[in-house]
Amino acid sequence: MSRSILDVTDLSKHYSQRRGLFSMLTGQARVTPAVDGVSFYLRENETVGLVGESGCGKTTIGRTVLRLADPSGGRIVFDGRDITKLSRAEMRPLRREMQMIFQDLDAGLNPKMRVRAILREALTVYERPSDAEIERRIRGLMQQVNLKDSKLANFPAELSGGEKRRVGIARVLAVRPRLIVADEPTSALDVSIQAQVVNLLRDLQKDLGLTYLFISHDLPIVELVSQKVAVMYLGRIVEMGLAEDIAHRPRHPYTVILWSSLADKRSTEVSLRARGGATAQRERRAGGVADFEQPATGCRFAPRCSLYQDKGRPAVCTDRASEPQLRDVGNGHVVACHFA
Amino acid sequence: MDAPVLSGVEGPLLTIENLRTYFYSRAKRAFIRSVDGVSLSLARGETLGIVGESGSGKTVTALSAAGLVSAAPGVIGGSVELHSNGTRRKLLDGLDRYVRVKEHDGRVAEVEKDERGWRRHAETLMKGVRGKEIAMIFQNPRSALNPYSTIGNQLVETIRLHTSLRGGREAKECAIHWLERVRIDSPRLRFDNFPFGMSGGMCQRAMIAMALCAEPSLLIADEPTTGLDATIQSRIVELLAQLKAETGIATLLISHDISVIQRLSDRVAVMYGGTVVETGCATELLAPEAKLRHPYTAALLASIPSAETIRRKSYLQAIEGEVLDTIEVPRGCRFYGRCSRVTEAVRERCAGLEPPLAEVAPGHKLRCWLYPSAPSGAMHETRT
Repeated sequence: MSRSILDVTDLSKHYSQRRGLFSMLTGQARVTPAVDGVSFYLRENETVGLVGESGCGKTTIGRTVLRLADPSGGRIVFDGRDITKLSRAEMRPLRREMQMIFQDLDAGLNPKMRVRAILREALTVYERPSDAEIERRIRGLMQQVNLKDSKLANFPAELSGGEKRRVGIARVLAVRPRLIVADEPTSALDVSIQAQVVNLLRDLQKDLGLTYLFISHDLPIVELVSQKVAVMYLGRIVEMGLAEDIAHRPRHPYTVILWSSLADKRSTEVSLRARGGATAQRERRAGGVADFEQPATGCRFAPRCSLYQDKGRPAVCTDRASEPQLRDVGNGHVVACHFA
Repeated sequence: MDAPVLSGVEGPLLTIENLRTYFYSRAKRAFIRSVDGVSLSLARGETLGIVGESGSGKTVTALSAAGLVSAAPGVIGGSVELHSNGTRRKLLDGLDRYVRVKEHDGRVAEVEKDERGWRRHAETLMKGVRGKEIAMIFQNPRSALNPYSTIGNQLVETIRLHTSLRGGREAKECAIHWLERVRIDSPRLRFDNFPFGMSGGMCQRAMIAMALCAEPSLLIADEPTTGLDATIQSRIVELLAQLKAETGIATLLISHDISVIQRLSDRVAVMYGGTVVETGCATELLAPEAKLRHPYTAALLASIPSAETIRRKSYLQAIEGEVLDTIEVPRGCRFYGRCSRVTEAVRERCAGLEPPLAEVAPGHKLRCWLYPSAPSGAMHETRT
């Protein structure tokens, strides 16, 4: 069993917004708990998928564990070292071990620099290799991400989406990281190119022993690349376990809706269809959408939950004092629901 | 209000013939052949799904049909015919006199277009068509709605412009009725909401209400679910399916998400590099066991992770190479460079000559030298 490289305990990140004169005078602010008490860990050479609707806090987790955003509470341990309170200067040497692939293809690609210069810059952040060494490593990186050397002379604007993504990955690999937070790495790409990038990321993991925190809303892709999957709803993890378990034996009503909404779209897959029809009905009843500003008391999912309706609106679900905690249902599969 | 007429008129609702829409890239000093000889037809009450990767010309085809292409030179040839409510309208009629195309070696080398003349003429042809007969919904609903106006006001504006309802109160009732029809909760309250106060899915519903409130005969839905959350996506797809059943509206559905196309379309057109490479009945063409299929369609379907791939954690079958750049269009088949099924017998033809869109089975056409034409029929040079 490989050891854990990232350990996150009870992490929370609140954003506060001040609105209007009154709150300015009194100092009261409206607080949005983007991430609220999240715990998980990543083992070395493992991929954990993070799924959920937009606004559920996936990206915030990714940014906070890399300390690109400061956590409001909780503990982040990277490779046995508590990095929650490290200063910027103390973080700097650690940054090369933990990198992020951003959703935006153009993020990190300076439009006025050629690909060669972009990679050169990344290679010389932490080291001062000789020119020959830089040239050798640039070629190595290009080979690793399956790009032709002729692209080195191009500007980012002259690259296609897939090529930009590859350059982005090469740039991240340049500092030889161990942990990569991949935030929707394929969402901006076409299906045929998506497949190339997913294959590439899996190859790199095998060859370089990388660890991924894979954030995506594309459920089949997450299931494909991850060993473990965590499902988030309104800033909390509601279910976590092995990818197969989450995909095929989901326990939390939200996970069920999430997976079968996918099945609804693919009505031709007959086996999934039976499940899909029932969901459509449940969905219709479920109505509203997630809203941070008016969090439900008790279980956050209760207002949209079909189980809550089926059970005749039990009081425990909306009880302010008893928000469901993650509990083990076997095989490392944890669920935060009173009834699942 | 007049409901869409389903009978009485013969022939397809929309016919696009050999449409060409080019843009000019100043940096490369060459034409971007976004739409290069596309022919499509859409029957009444039918949903035609257009699939293809980005840059394949799906959206530009639809924008050209709706007369919404604004960059130069834009539409340079072809015909678009809309046959609705008993009238036949040629939407590009007589516009060819504003364009002079010089061909060199069989392809467009130079285009002279009288932009202003074309525009003026095109707008007169489009009057009473766009918005009234052809409505559109777009990918990003929030950017298509006016942020400074409540959705109620935007709906009322559309209703007063395109229907016989002129009075404020009547129009408001009609707007609320439409908000109800697109399943927006408490429509009377939502009437006064601004777009920023509503979620993406809700905005898309409002957009759909705006598109349908004039009871158009054709709806162009350009990536209606892209950018929405998984749970919301399936609900919008559900809504579109219900509205189609209720109103019988013909839809041109553009999406790169094959599952959406599968769910909603009767027929499918697969586009690649500005041309239609395959068209046919949706259930047959996208069925997993179908044998007769364009190599591109086959590769596209294979690159989506299937349940089997996921279970075995095997590699995804990616299509090698990049999406065709429509500036340097090859002489032969546009998919030749990425095609994995080229055999020695056809290689020369694949590389040198563009295959025609040939009928390989009734109602099923594809553009590939591996399947030259129907087993019995002679070779067609048809472009439909």
